[in-house]
Amino acid sequence: MSVPIIEAKDLKKTYLLGKVPVEALRGINLNVKRGEFLSILGPSGSGKSTLLNLIGALDKPSSGKLLIDGVDESTLDDNQLTELRGRIGFVFQFFNLIPRYTAIQNVELAMSIANVGKSERSKRAKELLETVGLKDRMNHKPAELSGGQQQRVAIARALANEPRFMLLDEPTGNIDSRTAQEIIGLIKKVNGEGVTVIMVTHDQNLAREASHTIEVFDGMIKSDEVNHA
Amino acid sequence: MKAKDIFGYSFSAIKLRKLRAGLTTLGIVIGIAAIVALLSLTQGLSASLTNSFQQGLSANTLVVTGQNIPLYANYTDQIMAIPSISQDIVATIPVIQQTGYLTNSSGSTMKVTIVGVNFAETAEAYPTTFTAATGTISRNPSDYSIVIGAKISNLNLNGTIFVNAGDQLTVTTQVPIANETYVGNVTAVLAPIGGLSIGAAPSDTGVYIPINQAETYFGTNQLSEIIVQLKSSNNGTITTVSNAITKYFNGEVTVESPTVIINTINSAISTIGGFIVGIAAISLLVAGVGIMNIMFVSIIERTREIGILKALGMKSRTVLSTFLCESALIGVVGSAVGIALGWGIANLDALVNKRSSLVKVNGTGVKITPVLTPEVFILALAFGIGVSILFAIYPAWRASKLNVVDALRYE
Repeated sequence: MSVPIIEAKDLKKTYLLGKVPVEALRGINLNVKRGEFLSILGPSGSGKSTLLNLIGALDKPSSGKLLIDGVDESTLDDNQLTELRGRIGFVFQFFNLIPRYTAIQNVELAMSIANVGKSERSKRAKELLETVGLKDRMNHKPAELSGGQQQRVAIARALANEPRFMLLDEPTGNIDSRTAQEIIGLIKKVNGEGVTVIMVTHDQNLAREASHTIEVFDGMIKSDEVNHA
Repeated sequence: MKAKDIFGYSFSAIKLRKLRAGLTTLGIVIGIAAIVALLSLTQGLSASLTNSFQQGLSANTLVVTGQNIPLYANYTDQIMAIPSISQDIVATIPVIQQTGYLTNSSGSTMKVTIVGVNFAETAEAYPTTFTAATGTISRNPSDYSIVIGAKISNLNLNGTIFVNAGDQLTVTTQVPIANETYVGNVTAVLAPIGGLSIGAAPSDTGVYIPINQAETYFGTNQLSEIIVQLKSSNNGTITTVSNAITKYFNGEVTVESPTVIINTINSAISTIGGFIVGIAAISLLVAGVGIMNIMFVSIIERTREIGILKALGMKSRTVLSTFLCESALIGVVGSAVGIALGWGIANLDALVNKRSSLVKVNGTGVKITPVLTPEVFILALAFGIGVSILFAIYPAWRASKLNVVDALRYE
């Protein structure tokens, strides 16, 4: 059996809220296999965003182990964490595109951070934007795009550096339900091409689209189900 | 991230806030312009004064004057005979100098300094300045020969003719014998020399009569000064000879060298110039504080963007570089425009007034041609860019240290 892409063992994270320690995660055990579509479900305050931050190498655990591709995150220094982040495809609820850049420039920026050459960058950005269905909107700035279109740009950007996995935080939280269906369709298509997808959501219906669903409640995993579609 | 891409990103950030970037740049422009204008004027003044002295003086001459003792004619031979320096000296020229009056044929009178010298020796010591524009300077003049500077003939060189070569002049003195008078002949008018002079060195306002006539006429055998002509104008020779002469007369004479005087003046100018430029530099520091302020505002505005960049894998070091690059760009543009503006300001004074209205010697403006040396250019550029980067280091460092989770959550 292959090494799981993400493996959490008794993962804990405690914040200090002022002087009061808050236990956001209280011992998470999790295995994500390569090529899976995992959805993390849970109400707000359940700790799912904290879990996402840890998996995304945006933050470090307080205790426990988090192995990403077999490497223990807690052993990495800031630079190594940054490098790791460069190979994770983030998609945020609020799109988080650079407003002064056009769609294609936003996608290219991710590649320029990873030192990809100019011509290669531009070629790949065009391909990706075509894949997400934005062939005709490449040279528009985020303000000139609808929410759904902005999220497509964000997905294209997330795929730019051939990520180890894609990490989506409420990707449809800010768009209407019809567009949300399209976005989910796109995510499933990407997953179908072999990219591991991890999506945080509080929407039961969206979570059902995934091949593997965990439910986080009060900093612990309440249920862990593999959907056999 | 490649340097070119960092540059592109920084440039796009500046472009987004054109007015703000423009105003920040203006601060650097003003500081650098002030520094460049002042430095190039100071250097121009220095060059112009040096030039003025060099026109009126020969660099290979020394002027000996008595401090506590009178100088006598035989001292010239004694100086020539000082063993340690005799090989450095070409000639020693005695000078008698007194105030007198000249009256021309139409009865106009002017007060002048009358200098008694040996014409032949003076012509040797000052080959470029003791030369006739009209008439001739006889090597063996009659007692009544008079050689005059250009401004005595043509008053202030403005076309008012006082006397020409070949005319007669009545010379009057009050010292030591009251109102003694003789009529002399103007045998030569010197070519215009320009510049400043010390002692008996030829000048545009000088009146020269043979030394024998001066002795008789002024009724004295004491010299006003002795001009020592050296074989070389290098500083070593000047110092050695000056010291030897001073020592020979037990410190009771003063030995002045045009070269030393020029150096003294230039060092005074550069001290004053440095002080003024220092004040101008303060304005650049103020501009630097402006940059720091604007950087902080920019970082607060772009907190979320910094979070995004870090989430996309941008290293802290690169975040730091992008902000430093932004302020370096401001520094480069500000310094370049500042240098051009400063150079323009420095030239404006000279352009409008022909002679500077800022610096005057004896009531007339000195002609200053501003000088922009490559050193000043590079210094100004480096200083402008340096200040811009220096004041951006702390804000940029703060930006690079932003916590990515907090930055992403920032509204």
